[in-house]
Amino acid sequence: MSRLGAAPIDDPLLRVEGLSVSFDTAMGRVRAAQDVCLDLLKGETLAIVGETGCGKSVVANSILQLLPGNASVQGRVIFSGRDLLSLSEREMAEIRGREIAIVFQNPSLALNPIIKAEEQIAEPLQIHSHLPRSLSIQMAKDMLRRLRLGVGGVAESYPFQLSGGMNQRVMIAAAMILSPRIIIADEPSKGLDRLLARQVAEELSGLRDKMDASLLLITHDLLLARDISDRISVMYSGEVVETGESQAVFDHPLHPYTKALLDCLPQRGFHPIPGASPSMIDPPGGCKFYPRCRYKHDKCMQRPDMTEKRCPNEGMDREVRCWLY
Amino acid sequence: MSLSGKKALRYLVALFLIFSLNFAIPRSMPGDPLTNLLGEDVMLTDSYVLELRAKMGLDRSWPEQYLEYWRDILKLDLGYSFHLHRSVSDIIFERMKWTLLLAVPALILGAVLGALSGARAGWKSGSCIHKMETAFFLAIYCTPPYFLSLIVLYLLSFKAGLFPLKGFYSTGSAVDIAHHLFLPMTMMTLFSLSRNYMIMRGSVLQEKGSLYAAFARAKGLYDEEILFRHVFKNALLPIITLLALDFGFILSGALFIEIVFSMNGMGSLIYDALLSRDYPILQGSFLIITIMVISANLLADLLYSRLDPRVRWQ
Amino acid sequence: MSEINPGLDTDAIAMAIHEGEESKCKKDGEGRTALARFIKKTSWAAKASGLGLALFSSFLAMAALSSLLAPYDPWIRFEPYLWPGEEHLLGTNDLGQDILSELIYGSRVSLIVGFGAALMATIIGTTIGLFSGYFKGTVDEILMGLTDIFLMIPQIPLIIVLAAFLRPSFWMVALLMGSLWWTSTARVVRSKALQVSEMGYVRAKRALGFSSLHIMLSDVLPNICHVVMPKFLLSIASAMIAEASISFLGLGDPATKSWGMMINFAFSRGGFINGYWWWYLAPGLCITLFVMSVVLVGHFLEEKEISTLRSE
Repeated sequence: MSRLGAAPIDDPLLRVEGLSVSFDTAMGRVRAAQDVCLDLLKGETLAIVGETGCGKSVVANSILQLLPGNASVQGRVIFSGRDLLSLSEREMAEIRGREIAIVFQNPSLALNPIIKAEEQIAEPLQIHSHLPRSLSIQMAKDMLRRLRLGVGGVAESYPFQLSGGMNQRVMIAAAMILSPRIIIADEPSKGLDRLLARQVAEELSGLRDKMDASLLLITHDLLLARDISDRISVMYSGEVVETGESQAVFDHPLHPYTKALLDCLPQRGFHPIPGASPSMIDPPGGCKFYPRCRYKHDKCMQRPDMTEKRCPNEGMDREVRCWLY
Repeated sequence: MSLSGKKALRYLVALFLIFSLNFAIPRSMPGDPLTNLLGEDVMLTDSYVLELRAKMGLDRSWPEQYLEYWRDILKLDLGYSFHLHRSVSDIIFERMKWTLLLAVPALILGAVLGALSGARAGWKSGSCIHKMETAFFLAIYCTPPYFLSLIVLYLLSFKAGLFPLKGFYSTGSAVDIAHHLFLPMTMMTLFSLSRNYMIMRGSVLQEKGSLYAAFARAKGLYDEEILFRHVFKNALLPIITLLALDFGFILSGALFIEIVFSMNGMGSLIYDALLSRDYPILQGSFLIITIMVISANLLADLLYSRLDPRVRWQ
Repeated sequence: MSEINPGLDTDAIAMAIHEGEESKCKKDGEGRTALARFIKKTSWAAKASGLGLALFSSFLAMAALSSLLAPYDPWIRFEPYLWPGEEHLLGTNDLGQDILSELIYGSRVSLIVGFGAALMATIIGTTIGLFSGYFKGTVDEILMGLTDIFLMIPQIPLIIVLAAFLRPSFWMVALLMGSLWWTSTARVVRSKALQVSEMGYVRAKRALGFSSLHIMLSDVLPNICHVVMPKFLLSIASAMIAEASISFLGLGDPATKSWGMMINFAFSRGGFINGYWWWYLAPGLCITLFVMSVVLVGHFLEEKEISTLRSE
């Protein structure tokens, strides 16, 4: 499902510039994300992959200013010529759900257990487009039908009566009902079995195609990322370490971490990465992956910048954060 | 047994237990059971006393008395007050009207206002204004209701003369009644409000961190829209039962407020009965109050099961 | 699943998300002294409970050190109905007894009743909750049914009726209240006991053949302590208001002078009509302040418990 030759890089739909997020906690200042740069192009699917806790959800949530009160955010998120991080809550409320929508990780908890599914899907229509209730419910039911949940009285049911997979699709329906230009899917496959996860992801992809929207997919499932995304960004310990075209990254990983990550897959032999991930409260200077890297040398004590590497036979440039390149 | 069956059983058992308690207390307390049943300082001839003993069945065994008791209850015969020379049920039903007139509007008003403002306070828990508001209502919550009423009575009626000192009315006109009722009603409402406020605030505080509230925000809902479209109902449900249980407490508070403002409802009735040791009145009042509290709980239970879909679709 | 090496400081991030609910970014205080900076840094809730604790301790001190603090013996009679002045800071009552001394000694009665009732309620409630949550099944049903029934009994009216007959000492009053108020503690203990008894180590102990009583005492009980504490404190608050109410009606122990009794005397012996507001203002304020101090600390503990539950 990968598509080569998407829109040129210098006209992204969403540009994340130098995003750094840290949290003030009782244990100290947690640096969850450091200097993250991403571009999301029109009509593409970008996957952000990495281990649990590498900061990818934090990046996703910070785009819509959904982080908790003790977070300090730096950097810029440019969308439609505006820096989203500088907007007020009221201005953000206009954008959320209408132009950029997000789907959370835990579908059964993210839906209000005592409000019917159809009402929760219809809600953005009432809030943003000020449609009358009856019309919005009708449109909600249509949306559910498109997600193949039109029968069995799902619309009139309450989330506690539905399964996790159904709730996931209800959430997607609510997110997509206003045809936003960007959909952020935060671990849509979490908690679902393999088959269901794939189905959900494919539905997301299909809807995205029909609406000509862009999809930002956050996941730890590497194979899923490869299959439905155009480009992949790999994150480690709060930093982006590699970005490139999905299939290419898979076939020829450049960053040592990406290589090691792929080696962990059962298909490639299940080789675990030695060592443990670095602390986010007291991060080491220099390259974060240095202690566990196979190719380390002294230069790695200094933090490398992202460098572009030309890959003429891949149709797109790769970006890597490593002194090797 | 089904859930509602079990619940119904509990209500019946509670009622039964309390009525039986009411039977047992005067007969097991120290002193002559006859005095306990009649009240103290009652002037009666000796022959009449003997007659009464027989009539009340005190010379019979307990089980027999128990059955008699239940028969009387079902006939709505709560006994006779020798101090006031009327049947207990008559007096109580007459006075109860006034108590309800005072308590019910105040309770409802207090519940509604308390829930709304408590929800706002829980939602905007960081704001200075709401913190001060919370401190204010906390102070009211901690003050014994009769004490606050005493102070208010002193300041506004005694010193400033703005409101009448005693009773329900002097002339019986609607304006006059309102004038008399204003202070006690305000006190009651304040009392009920503060309790509901604190409970609702706590519930909203708990709910506002939930994921569905975050998702509502992610859909583009703004501030109080999230509160009233989502969090409010979720926060209200678990506390409906709490609020209903509080009804008993608030009703007791009403009695005290009545006493301070010298209103002629159940409060003053009980107070006078206490002073004169008129036990039949005391017991009868206790029974009636219990019935009211249990009914309120029953109502709340029914309301809850209708409102919460999770219970409905069990 | 391609879930490799989990735990990239997930604990830190998870905690960060949850901490965010309560604390805002704490700016370094600009207060000049260390104390000022400390006060600025602590959250409102902590400040409130600190105040509560301070009030609470002062009342405890008042009760413990009554003989030292009170200017006179509260039973000695001076000239009655004196206005507050130099000799008698709060004036004298209808019998000529110094009101301030009455107030200070009165703290003992109120505190003892409050604590006694709360202690009794907590012991009963904890036992019932423990048995209910640990044994589950029929025991649970019966005990919970009992709890529900007790919850529906109107407490103050019942105490009024019983007190009218028994004319009890204040110990009795405490006992009576305690035997009615255990319900909310029981419920809370039960849910926590249910939780704990499902944990791995408890099940293991059961399998190993330890007696139920042993497990309950050594494993379940310690874990429910921090849940019981706030309930205990809030029971004290309820007990004090109830005692004050009973005494106000004249049903308290006449041999002792609790704060509620003082208000009763003020009301019934001409204090109100004659405008001797200090007679009932002082004890009333004391009751309010003490209840507030207990409630503040109790609420704070409860909210802390809720937040630790959320991050589990």
